[in-house]
Amino acid sequence: MEITKDLTIPKLFYQKAKHYGAAKVAMREKEFGIWRPITWQDYFDHVKRLSLGLVKLGLKPGDKVAMIGDNRPEGLWVEMAALCAGGVAVWLFQESMMEEVQYIIDHSDTRFFVGEGQEEVDKALSIMGQCPKVEKVLWDDPKGLRHYHQDFLISLKEVEKLGAELDREQPDLFEKLVFQGHGDDVALLFYTSGTTSKPKGALLSHWNMLTMGKHLMSVDPCYDTDDFVSYLPFAWIGEQMMSISCGLQIGFTINFPEEPETAQENIREIGPHVMFAPPRMYEQMTRTVQVKHLDASFSKRMLFNLSTKIGYHVADLKFKKKPVPFYMALLQKIMYLIVQKKLRDHLGLSRIRHAYTGGAAMGPDHFRFFHALGVNLKQIYGQTEIAGISVVHRDGDIKFDTVGKPLPQTEVKITEEGEIISKGPSVFLGYYKNPEATEKTLVDGWLYSGDKGFIDEDGHLVVFDRSKDVMTLSDKRPFSPQYLESRLKFSPYIKDAWVIGHEKPYITAVVCIDYSVVGKWADDKKMNYTSYQELSQIPEVYNLVEAQFRQANRDLPDVARVRKFVNLYKEFDPDDGELTRTHKLRRAFVEDRYQDIVAALYSEAEVIHMDTTITYEDGRTAKIKTDLRIQKVPEEGKK
Amino acid sequence: MAKGFLPCGTYHQDYAHDHAWWQTRFVKGKMIFLAIGLFLIIPHLDSYYVGIVNMIGYTILGALGVDLLIGFTGQITLGHAAFMAVGAYTSALMVLEFPWPKIFIHLGLAYPLSILCGAVLAGLWSVLFGLPSAKVKGFYLILTTMAAQFVTVDFIITQYVARIGGRGQAFSLPPGTIKIGPWIIDSPTKVYYLMIILVLLCIGMVANLLRSKPGRAWMAIRDNDIAAETLGINIIFYKLLSFFVAGFIAGIAGAFWISNLAAISPEHFPWSWSLWLVGVILIGGTGSIQGTIFGSMFMVLVMEALQIGILPLADIYPQLLEKFLFVKESTFGLAICAFLIFEPNGLSYRWWQIKNYFNLWPFSY
Repeated sequence: MEITKDLTIPKLFYQKAKHYGAAKVAMREKEFGIWRPITWQDYFDHVKRLSLGLVKLGLKPGDKVAMIGDNRPEGLWVEMAALCAGGVAVWLFQESMMEEVQYIIDHSDTRFFVGEGQEEVDKALSIMGQCPKVEKVLWDDPKGLRHYHQDFLISLKEVEKLGAELDREQPDLFEKLVFQGHGDDVALLFYTSGTTSKPKGALLSHWNMLTMGKHLMSVDPCYDTDDFVSYLPFAWIGEQMMSISCGLQIGFTINFPEEPETAQENIREIGPHVMFAPPRMYEQMTRTVQVKHLDASFSKRMLFNLSTKIGYHVADLKFKKKPVPFYMALLQKIMYLIVQKKLRDHLGLSRIRHAYTGGAAMGPDHFRFFHALGVNLKQIYGQTEIAGISVVHRDGDIKFDTVGKPLPQTEVKITEEGEIISKGPSVFLGYYKNPEATEKTLVDGWLYSGDKGFIDEDGHLVVFDRSKDVMTLSDKRPFSPQYLESRLKFSPYIKDAWVIGHEKPYITAVVCIDYSVVGKWADDKKMNYTSYQELSQIPEVYNLVEAQFRQANRDLPDVARVRKFVNLYKEFDPDDGELTRTHKLRRAFVEDRYQDIVAALYSEAEVIHMDTTITYEDGRTAKIKTDLRIQKVPEEGKK
Repeated sequence: MAKGFLPCGTYHQDYAHDHAWWQTRFVKGKMIFLAIGLFLIIPHLDSYYVGIVNMIGYTILGALGVDLLIGFTGQITLGHAAFMAVGAYTSALMVLEFPWPKIFIHLGLAYPLSILCGAVLAGLWSVLFGLPSAKVKGFYLILTTMAAQFVTVDFIITQYVARIGGRGQAFSLPPGTIKIGPWIIDSPTKVYYLMIILVLLCIGMVANLLRSKPGRAWMAIRDNDIAAETLGINIIFYKLLSFFVAGFIAGIAGAFWISNLAAISPEHFPWSWSLWLVGVILIGGTGSIQGTIFGSMFMVLVMEALQIGILPLADIYPQLLEKFLFVKESTFGLAICAFLIFEPNGLSYRWWQIKNYFNLWPFSY
């Protein structure tokens, strides 16, 4: 399909809806136990009525429509309706803080706020005072909203009714609205999560979104018979990439889970052909497999071990691009039939053709794990500013320490300072109401990413961790704490790890054991414990963790080995500010909070006396007095 | 219906598919194999083996009703043979004694109609003896159902019904009297065909009842009758409905069984046969249709094996031949004891465990 500058997302939507009509299912939503189908005709009708309804309420081309809610068909309808009327879609994360919501709504000049249900409407109500530009608040789920009588509240059903009325009055208005757009018009205003400053709003045009989708699909084609499960926030550019850009061009069926909590189970029912998720999701799957494996019966464990061994061997050969000997291929086939086929079935990956991960670095162990299963997992690199993706692995050319090669028509270069810059049709228009930031990021059509990296001999892009996360020991030898942490976290017993060593003589680590897994392990060994704190300090548990360290230390250069560790008395928790909401470690914060531990790790002390306050989930606080033991990891060979 | 384990990528857009019996190609394939086995292989076996299979089918039909009462409605019954006797005698009398127009008999409609009448009459007779269940339960209900056995078989049938036509105790069924249309049932293979159709129909009926409103009501009554009543379930109606359906199937079983016999007498329906059927569902696993099938197969096959294994020994110990009945009964008792101790959930639970072992592969949960 040809993407011209004249084509817009609504025009493409119109074409596809007319093409498929009532004969093909556009989306499904799980409700009351079945996957309720929504055909392209239904999709079109809803979008048409909603779009005209928004026009009736006063939406003008260029007006912003902010949306917040779970993944539901209605969310996508409203977004498409806003685009059809010439509006600009702004998606907000469900778990955004109040101030953030208020900032984005106010900064984006939003006129229409669309919330899924009572929770979102309450959010809107509490910021209405500070956001005078908001005119109407739309809602979908009536649960709990019976006694809300504010004039500016209106349900999507009523909006559809208004739209139907307007359609009767001016039957050709919708077509006129759809066909007035141009590819360079702004389609989405997406706010990038600012870790340091206020969020910045990236303006993406129809052309940006459509070319990105086209190029990704030219690398990894999908078909309109494919299934895709939409369960990650729409406010994440990756989800827009799949549901809007690729979804519209290919016409695959988008499936919405019953509830966010049932997503994993629902994915298994659907068995998607393509999947894009942050590393966290894949890490969770690996952990599930490992934990269940530990509890499996002897014969099952043996077969599993054998199959993983063969799987790893074949995957490593493929990574090195060496031919797989026929007997290995045969063994792999047999193992696939007796173990891996079933394992993939459990994970919902039976039918997967392409699985993508992006948004953060993923440990090589996890990467190998999926390839050993025969899952075609690939890295994606990109940012919101380039419509989500600019670099991806190609089939059969996957290296787990790189992020792959640039998409067609996309150029990626490294500046003299080592910064990754890219150019292509999907590079955004600029930041909304922020010319200084735009000037800094967008120079001569090149997008400056702020990430450091280099291009290796095969033309693959390698992205370093954000530079502040690359550390050096006191003797100037560098090491990557994230790499070590992801290796440690591959062990099912370790939930979180924090590797320390910046400007220190050697590397140490603070470990949060996985309560349920280690707890089960201790139960089996008939050890007594009453709490996480007590369990973490049992000497046998220390030895168990030490074994994980020895495993991780193996085949690491001497410099990168962990010498001492301590088991923390609690898990890291976003509520305590130790992790971000996306479960990334906030290094500066923990370094400040646990100074005593860091100090003790670099002294001769063997025990740390802790006296701290912890915050429970309900906001109560409690004092904790405890002793933490420090254990050394013996050097290999010296034990 | 418990949906069990479905492979990844199985989803349904409407309830009709969501409730379908066979949802995956694997299950459909299994069913095709089963059908081939049932309709193409077993009928061609030696008539001795077909006879054994017929016995299994008869036991399944009997045990199905018992399982419905004990396993699904929680109403313990020890008088099921009585309702089978009602079906058998109704059918026999209709075939032998009823003044049908000649043409009716020529067309072979008497027997099929008699199966239906026998079933309905047995169902109603069962409801009569189920009436006490409105008031009593547990131990007391067992006694009232036992009363059904003694009143029906030992008193009414032996003293009155069996004497109709002045034949003495046994009703002989001359060859050619049992026919459906032009199809005269006179060989084990033909009995087998009749049996397999009736068994499949009854299993289908019970399985569908169990996943609809009556089935859910029965299970609610079984689990807690007081809670069921507070949920608005008319427990008397559903208990009696359960007795009716159980009796109906017993009637079909009895009416079917005369096609396999040259003569019927009250001795075909002793109290021990009622007890035997309870044993079958205990071994198969109560509250499971598969359990009924497994239990029937187990009991019939073990008894056959016993005969094959023990009778040759009679040359050495002639006593064995005389006392074979006791060997059989004590094996039955031992089997029940062993199952209650080692496999209290029956063979169907073992079956479920085997399936689960592979479904959860390569994990254990």
